[in-house]
Amino acid sequence: MAKTIIGNTIVIEGSIEGEPAVTVHGTVKGKISSAAEVNLEKTADVEAEVEADILQVAGKLRGKVAARQKVAIAAEGKMVGDIRAPRILIADGAQFKGNIDME
Amino acid sequence: MAEAAAVIGKTIKVKGEVTGAGNLVVEGELEGRVELDHLVIEPTGNVTATIEVDHLTVHGKASGNIEASRKVEVKATATVFGDVRAPSVVIEEGAVFRGRVQMDVGIDEGV
Repeated sequence: MAKTIIGNTIVIEGSIEGEPAVTVHGTVKGKISSAAEVNLEKTADVEAEVEADILQVAGKLRGKVAARQKVAIAAEGKMVGDIRAPRILIADGAQFKGNIDME
Repeated sequence: MAEAAAVIGKTIKVKGEVTGAGNLVVEGELEGRVELDHLVIEPTGNVTATIEVDHLTVHGKASGNIEASRKVEVKATATVFGDVRAPSVVIEEGAVFRGRVQMDVGIDEGV
């Protein structure tokens, strides 16, 4: 499966679209939309609208999120924004501020 | 779990204000306002209230404004509707949640 990895020295301003799986270690400003999974790793610093089946946040995220399956904020994750997803998980230690809507 | 100062049993319905110190375990229904240390809402419990506690654990249903000075735990079997404010909020997979979450940790600056 094609996989997109944004390394931690990389800064993207704009949008990442249509990739089946996106893993971010670096900085993204704009929009990320994936048909499958988006992983924001510990070093990630993302200010974007995110759309995916599954979103995992272990880094920093500011933005609006819509997931078709699941959003998981790990213990190291920090997020400010609104989440819409059928399943949402916030781990102990995670930081979050925003609206949650589970349909 | 620490010994409960009060238990509201499955067949009991309480309307009004519950205040005090210690733990309250709700297996039944509670409507109104709750102010105490640790509130545990069991899977059969249904609380519609303004909740002000140190620590809240939800296995059942809770709706209303929730403020905890320490922690809010939304367990896998829980359904929570409302606004939650606490330094630490944990939502387990399987839980149903709709509302706002605000952790007072100054993350606006950090994110």
